[in-house]
Amino acid sequence: MADWQQYAQSIFIGFIFSFLLAKLISVVVSFREENLRVVRSDSPEPKPSPPGSESDAEGTTAAADVEPLIGEEKTSLTGDSDDDWEGVESTELDEAFSAATAFVAATAADKAANKVSTDVQLQLYGLYKIATEGPCGSPQPSALKMTARAKWQAWQKLGAMPPEDAMLKYIEIVTELYPSWIAGSTIVDLELFTSAATWWHLKMDAIHAFAREGDVENLIKCVESGVSVDLKDSEGRTPLHWAVDRGHLNITEMLVNKSADVNAKDNEGQTPLHYAAVCERESIAEFLVKHNANASIKDDDGNSSYDLCDSNWPWMQRAASQTA
Amino acid sequence: MADNNSSSSPPAKNQNPYPDGNVPSETESENDALARQVQESLSLAKRHKFWETQPVGQFKDLGDTSLPEGSIEPPTPLSEVKQEPYNLPNLYEWITCDMDSAEMCTEVYNLLTNNYVEDDENMFRFNYSKEFLHWALRPPGYYRSWHIGVRVKNSKKLVAFITGVPAKIRVRDTVVTMAEINFLCVHKKLRSKRLAPVMIKEVTRRVHLENIWHAAYTAGVVLPTPISTCQYWHRSLNPKKLIDVGFSRLGARMTMSRTIKLYKLPDSTVTPGFRKMEPHDVPAVTRLLRNYLKQFAVAPDFDENDVEHWLLPKENVVDSYLVESPETHEITDFCSFYTLPSSILGNQNYSTLKAAYSYYNVSTKTPLLQLMNDALIVAKLKDFDVFNALDVMQNETFLKELKFGPGDGKLHYYLYNYRLKHVLRASELGLVLL
Repeated sequence: MADWQQYAQSIFIGFIFSFLLAKLISVVVSFREENLRVVRSDSPEPKPSPPGSESDAEGTTAAADVEPLIGEEKTSLTGDSDDDWEGVESTELDEAFSAATAFVAATAADKAANKVSTDVQLQLYGLYKIATEGPCGSPQPSALKMTARAKWQAWQKLGAMPPEDAMLKYIEIVTELYPSWIAGSTIVDLELFTSAATWWHLKMDAIHAFAREGDVENLIKCVESGVSVDLKDSEGRTPLHWAVDRGHLNITEMLVNKSADVNAKDNEGQTPLHYAAVCERESIAEFLVKHNANASIKDDDGNSSYDLCDSNWPWMQRAASQTA
Repeated sequence: MADNNSSSSPPAKNQNPYPDGNVPSETESENDALARQVQESLSLAKRHKFWETQPVGQFKDLGDTSLPEGSIEPPTPLSEVKQEPYNLPNLYEWITCDMDSAEMCTEVYNLLTNNYVEDDENMFRFNYSKEFLHWALRPPGYYRSWHIGVRVKNSKKLVAFITGVPAKIRVRDTVVTMAEINFLCVHKKLRSKRLAPVMIKEVTRRVHLENIWHAAYTAGVVLPTPISTCQYWHRSLNPKKLIDVGFSRLGARMTMSRTIKLYKLPDSTVTPGFRKMEPHDVPAVTRLLRNYLKQFAVAPDFDENDVEHWLLPKENVVDSYLVESPETHEITDFCSFYTLPSSILGNQNYSTLKAAYSYYNVSTKTPLLQLMNDALIVAKLKDFDVFNALDVMQNETFLKELKFGPGDGKLHYYLYNYRLKHVLRASELGLVLL
């Protein structure tokens, strides 16, 4: 009798022990997986570190994760979404979206390419999930799985955003990050989309990005492909406004040579010369004045570029008195 | 571990200077908070071979409220304090730096200018001026023996530096005479020789010789164990320069033009009776400040001599303004900032970033927001590029509204041989160390 009890006891203890052991192993394995994944994808990526960015420690875990950018699951959205959405055939949007995801995937794999910040990656991830799977339905991952949790949050916070909006937003972000992908993309034949209003809109956006970033080559391509040199963005700014704002004299010259309107007004009534005065871009301001920029045009606050000019530029004064 | 260059915070840069755009999303900030927690727990786990031997709060005691507040070790009889200096590696020798000597001041200045604290990306390095050092190291009752240098025996070249100055600091209800330890710096080529621990021990010994047993210090790194952790905030005054030198970043869709407009300040201050502090204001400012600082758990116990030294304006070192009521001529409000430029490393157009650091501010009649806005206006008129402030005291109430952006620099506060039961919120701190 006592023997039996002893047996039962040791079997029982044995069970508990092996259960705990199994549990421990599974915890270790899953922990290892979680971390290895981060480490693995970390190593091949140059760290995105624009000045003033988040500190490394916060950046690496999620930033390192290439996966959210890549279309990991192939999707077939074509069938069920609305046929007509703001004048854009959904199939075209789909194609543009898959072209964008392909571009992003290629960029993520390309070590030499510019890397984007964690928050943008997470944003792209969230939009990708909405576009391909719809609203987030999965439970929140544990706080320890930081990457998974951040990704879940990026998806979840978009709520019930329509997939089309997500696709458009995704394309917009990619265009913002890599304006050249539209103008110079080899992945997709862009002529396919030029008829679509939205696509046109994106291409239009690109011209402002090129002016902003000082990308002469692509800017010329854009103009030559028929985009108006005085095209306005959502704030009413022309490429010339952007070039002046960022201090690109060469772009300014190129745009003026292409007959850009030197006195174009943005939504606040400011001309490129207003920008040059506020940003104290002396050589650009001088160039604009020489090319008939009007220093006495008033913005919506009633200030001329001469009024806003804190610097003492003699030719500015002359220009203001001549044109006034 | 006593990092070589850690006695002050790095000249932290703007993480996000655009109040109207590029604001970190909910997700991101939560993610950051989590990452920070984990990061912090990792650094908690890191061994601090030196600090574990010192009478400072230890990581393992965090959250243990059974330990009493106050001194960790009792004072030892003065006769038992080691009389001779600690041993240095053979090639080096201790010196006491006479900050009244112009040559010595220059030597110290050069050491710090080339070797003191940098930001994480090595874009900026603190550049304390000679006048500033002269001021910071010679407050009332200072000890020359606490200005300690290490030099190479042969060449006489100064290669390391650490200082203390005496200060009365109130911790809750107890006023404790402490040493404020600052300017620990080891020449870049001598890092990893573990000079810092022996320097800390030497300054501690010399402080003990004056029968003082406590100290306060700040660092950008986590050591055992912060009494509080603060964050630097930055207010752009000259956004174009800050963007050009990489201190702040312009969001893609944000224009320079709009950014400049966003940070534009009026040409003159708005508060009636706002003026520079003068010597005859010392008693009134002292009263104002003493009364104001009572509300904080840790704060200096300033008397009139201290106020005269620390707060009376000194060209290119410290600026103080106050509000004198035009009717009653009563001094009702006070604000001050000190001048601490940073060298800009590797930029062709600019070599110096002129930064103002918020010091002590008191508001009783003028809203703090308006008072600090006037401080920003005078800082702009004095051609500062950026106005920095910690989130200590009541600063949080004006930071966001006055367009400060959070920096990526943290500043940790420490007490030596003094335990607090709980970590303090930044807003419970009434102390600013230089």
